[in-house]
Amino acid sequence: MSVEDDRPVWASGLVKSFGKSQAVRGVSLSVPQGSIYGVLGPNGAGKTTTLRMLLGIIDPDKGERRLLGEANPRNVSHRVGYLPEERGLYPSMKAREAIAFMGALRGLDWSEGRKRADEALEAAGLGYAAHNKIRKLSKGMAQLVQLLGSLIHKPDLIVLDEPFSGLDPVNQELLEKLILAERDHGATILFSTHVMGHAQRICDRLSIIAGGKVRFEGTVDEARATLPMRAQYVPCSGEDKVRALLPSDAGQSGKVWRFTVPEGGAERLVMDLVKAGHGIAGLSIERPGLHDAFVKIVGAVNADEADGAT
Amino acid sequence: MRQLIQNGLVIARRDFMAVVATPTFLLFLLAPFLMLGISIASGIGGAYLAKGPQESRQMIIIASPTDAKRLGAQENALRKRLYGPGGGPPAVRTVAPEPDANAQQVRLLAEKERDVTAVMRGPIDQPTIMHIAGEARDARFLALLAEETLRSEKLGQSPEMRLSRAEISEVRQTMPTRSRQQNTGSGAVVVMFMLTIMLASQAVGTLAEEKSNKVIEILAASVPLESVFFGKLIGLFGIALVFVAFWGGLVALGLSILPASAGLASFAPVIGLPLFVILAGCYFAMAFMLLGAIFLGVGAQASTMREIQMLSLPITLFQLIMFGLSMAAAGSPGSGVARFAEIFPFSSPFAMAARGATDPAIWPHVVALGWQLLWVSITIAIGAHFFRYGVLKSGVGPFKALGQILAKRWVSKTNLH
Repeated sequence: MSVEDDRPVWASGLVKSFGKSQAVRGVSLSVPQGSIYGVLGPNGAGKTTTLRMLLGIIDPDKGERRLLGEANPRNVSHRVGYLPEERGLYPSMKAREAIAFMGALRGLDWSEGRKRADEALEAAGLGYAAHNKIRKLSKGMAQLVQLLGSLIHKPDLIVLDEPFSGLDPVNQELLEKLILAERDHGATILFSTHVMGHAQRICDRLSIIAGGKVRFEGTVDEARATLPMRAQYVPCSGEDKVRALLPSDAGQSGKVWRFTVPEGGAERLVMDLVKAGHGIAGLSIERPGLHDAFVKIVGAVNADEADGAT
Repeated sequence: MRQLIQNGLVIARRDFMAVVATPTFLLFLLAPFLMLGISIASGIGGAYLAKGPQESRQMIIIASPTDAKRLGAQENALRKRLYGPGGGPPAVRTVAPEPDANAQQVRLLAEKERDVTAVMRGPIDQPTIMHIAGEARDARFLALLAEETLRSEKLGQSPEMRLSRAEISEVRQTMPTRSRQQNTGSGAVVVMFMLTIMLASQAVGTLAEEKSNKVIEILAASVPLESVFFGKLIGLFGIALVFVAFWGGLVALGLSILPASAGLASFAPVIGLPLFVILAGCYFAMAFMLLGAIFLGVGAQASTMREIQMLSLPITLFQLIMFGLSMAAAGSPGSGVARFAEIFPFSSPFAMAARGATDPAIWPHVVALGWQLLWVSITIAIGAHFFRYGVLKSGVGPFKALGQILAKRWVSKTNLH
């Protein structure tokens, strides 16, 4: 079995243009089975277009894609759950019916769909709204209903486009738990976001897309490792002479100095500071977050494109 | 004041551009061409309808060539004297007598190709005239023609003395007359058209709901667009059936209560009323699906209510053209126009329903229903393709797609050789 057949989601060199604007410029993805995979990128990076191509909603101009081993995503649509970026439900449908309808679209029997809808709504704390029409639900509740609808047929692959947007912090946490639970049940989850906190907490692997291309692919730790460690240091005395011993990028804010940890590690620097009599009133060494890595990667792309434009 | 005008112009500019800078506007712009089409189609239809029944009515005289000449010499003069130019009973056709002139007379009166209103046979001084119910006037005209022919030959006879003693009898018609068949066909076309224009036109705005509430994204990700289009049509057809069942039931109830259902009696399709009703039902389904698929496909391109309203005009005009064409077919069975209307997919259901009223053959209906079903599929596929290309911005344009199909065929043919 080849890699593309083995992977729930595999794509190579996807290209898509809308008129003269090239939205996706050769995106390749390989999502491992049973993982939570994040597609990260700034607004307009091509995340949604990539997901829509993978799902077969639109066809790529160039490139290959495989969904659950199938070249035609339509053939496996009953094994896929999808929450689009722009949420859509029939306002006149009742919550329970809306979920059952989405299940029926994926081949689930209506009566089984209704039964599962009742259970899912109850579990999500929305049991009381099962017979309420969608138009009477709040935006967050309707979004949750749609999410439940995309999971109701117990899909092997769940694709979520910006799933956290529009949810309050409580529901965001609920959604994170739901995603983790689905992964634990064996599903593969592919989701897009530009909010790094969620990705850092739940992603097993991720891709950062910017300007229509994949700029990074790996684990969260690997992404964070693209930036050196940062240190915060508070000397006991001799603050005016500390500057000479610290790396060149050191900056001061109040009594706190912030700088990049040298390549060899912080031990030698610490020893020098102690020897010089500055002492250590406070010292912390931090790994940069995914947010920093994202900003660096996307920032570099933006700078390159700005250079290219000039 | 200046600010007010400036603000007004800003809004006017947006509204103007929002309408003019859309492909929908092009259809709206070209609507007068459709109007021209309607004028031509309805003109042809009207002309056929006007002259059809008139041309199909006839009186027959079974006479030897000599008698035929004698009678013919008087006919025009009598007609002009009694009714003025162009008026009066239908034209007279003369046929040579057969050995059994009585049987010939009965047979001619039951002729299916035309409405034969009266047939005269026998010697001019003692003719036997048979006429169908309600056409006694034509029989009297033939009797008078015989009388006048003899009187012109025997000048000076007393006006009170009768030279020709005609025996006139009425024959009960067993087969529907041609004009009643045509009327049945036209009636079916009108009823089907009214139902279609009322019910299938709703398909124009159907996909707008999915587009506005973004459900289309869910549908497009879950099922093929062709299924979405087909499902929409079937759903609408279900609604149409409920409508037809309700009003059909009311009409049936009304007819059963009324003491004399003269209206129903005037429906006389050649294939029989039950089979005709079944066929008309099938053709209504096809008309609904065909025109509904067009409306759905065109309406799916619209993204606002304004665009839908603009699309309504050309769509209604298109429907009217189909109606005009079908009425022309109903008014002239077997003509070139009728054949064209029967073959052209979007008028075919109407024209074939009209054909069912005048042509007893069943096989053309089987072929036509298959042909129309094929076009329902083609129209749905084209509609879905346009939606994918125009709205979802996916796939290739229609002309490029056609080019690719042709290129593929050419390559496969070349490989075969």
